[in-house]
Amino acid sequence: MQTGHSIWRRILFNVFAWTVVLLISFPLLWMILTSLKPQSELFLIPPTILPSEITFEHYQRLLTETPFLTYLRNSLWLAAGTTAVVIVVAALGAHSLVRFSYPGRERLARLVLFTYLLPSVVLIIPLYLFMIRVGLVNTLASLIIAYTTFALPYALWLLRSFMAAIPVDLEAAALVDGASRMRAFIDVILPQALPGIISTALFTSILAWNEYLYALVLVNSDEVRPLTTGVMSILITSFNIEWSLLMAASVMMSVPLIVIFVFLQRFLTSGFGAGAVKG
Amino acid sequence: MTKTGQGIAVRKSLSLDARYAIVGAILIAPTVLILSTVIVYPLVSAIYLSVFSIYTPTMEGEFVGLANYTRLLGSGEFWRSLLNNMIWTAGTLSLQIVFGILVALLLHRKLIFRALARSLVLFPYFLSTVVAVLVWRWMLNDLYGVLNHMLMWARIIDMPVDWLGSMPNAMISLIFIGAWKYFPFVVIAVLARLQSIPDELYEAATIDGAGPFARFTDVTLPQLKDVLIVIVLLRTIWDFKEFDLIYLLTGGGPIIATQTLPLMVYKEAFALNQMGGASAVAVLMMLIMLVFMTLYLRKSGD
Repeated sequence: MQTGHSIWRRILFNVFAWTVVLLISFPLLWMILTSLKPQSELFLIPPTILPSEITFEHYQRLLTETPFLTYLRNSLWLAAGTTAVVIVVAALGAHSLVRFSYPGRERLARLVLFTYLLPSVVLIIPLYLFMIRVGLVNTLASLIIAYTTFALPYALWLLRSFMAAIPVDLEAAALVDGASRMRAFIDVILPQALPGIISTALFTSILAWNEYLYALVLVNSDEVRPLTTGVMSILITSFNIEWSLLMAASVMMSVPLIVIFVFLQRFLTSGFGAGAVKG
Repeated sequence: MTKTGQGIAVRKSLSLDARYAIVGAILIAPTVLILSTVIVYPLVSAIYLSVFSIYTPTMEGEFVGLANYTRLLGSGEFWRSLLNNMIWTAGTLSLQIVFGILVALLLHRKLIFRALARSLVLFPYFLSTVVAVLVWRWMLNDLYGVLNHMLMWARIIDMPVDWLGSMPNAMISLIFIGAWKYFPFVVIAVLARLQSIPDELYEAATIDGAGPFARFTDVTLPQLKDVLIVIVLLRTIWDFKEFDLIYLLTGGGPIIATQTLPLMVYKEAFALNQMGGASAVAVLMMLIMLVFMTLYLRKSGD
């Protein structure tokens, strides 16, 4: 009796928990389902849950009749460019903060955390005026520069916590063997920090991929628009809103995130707190 | 820590410590240089701009002292935006915390396909705000949206509801969608902490006759306290400065009913072309946020 009772309780708990999980992810499911329905099916009352016929026409139209591929190319450049700049600078900086001692080091580390919390709207007006003055407005370069405002503090803080976890003995041994500090960094620290560097790079590229405000202000032609503002401009400029097309765009925008997400499972806790939520 | 090499190092004109300090400074120099250009300089110039009257298309400025500030503090719009900002932050933050703790407790227990369940729950946090907004705007569509249909089918409402274009619906929708998008952050942090609570504490509480609810209030909550304080501070900062979600869902409307301070900065600067006035709003917003930022920095420093 006792065991039968507890089995029922476990089944009930599982049903309840999964109902909650599915409710939370319903918008994502709805996005995928809508993107596969024929346009005419969207306006049925009551709406159908599953598509009566699955169609990929919206994906095809997205790729051929809208500037989606241009936006995609821009977003890829932005994510790659921002990540490359930020990772190199932050790796050196984090190594300095973790393994060297000099006056003002701790204060500098706190300052970096402080900059990570700053709101973009405070920086955006001077940055906009600055980009106009140096003639960079409406270029991908202006966005990469703007993205370092949040990506660099983030990457530095995250890498700092990864690098602090590397045992000191390894580097010390290399130094005893006569290696210089830079040699020890390249031969000993970098290989050890590689998983941390890769996951920091992936987190940083997600930030760049999803950014909206700077892209809205600094860039205003389709040639340089990334996906975030680009897809919104499809919504704004369309005569009557084609939701299935927009849902197809949303799915396409999310696919790279899903891939990275699966890859990053292990690092989720450290990545999101940026080492800040240590509890 | 890394002075092991010191003993065998050949001493040149500088001591090894001093030379290491120089290497350390060189390594951090690019970071300092970049952050000075893209953060410190804009920050200082935002304060500088806020005492000018600058009309964007002509870029001509005139020193006006504190006029921008006095105009703002005397205008209803600033106070309304600040109030909206506080309602939005308090509303969405409390939902995030409550949902976040409940779902974390759910996902902490044994569950079939638990890894998949966790991924599904955490994903909204990863999602681009643009995507989240598009999906929700489609679901909340007043004519063809699935939400109105479901609610009418369940006979909770008998007419389609305008979720984003009227008050107080617009603010409530914002608060809920914000909670949906950001509660996974609370789940991640709380789950990590739950996993480190020793089982003995629960066993001891059970022996003392504590039921499931008492175990939660007497064991779990006190253990979560520290991490919750950090989460609340961090999320207060992030929710307070949220721009994308609100701008894309309601644009601050109807009229200015959901306009928060970040949206006011954007509107003043890029719709009304008043860079000076916009900077003044931004600076005032910074001052308010500084309270939470200082608290957080102090808290995370322990």
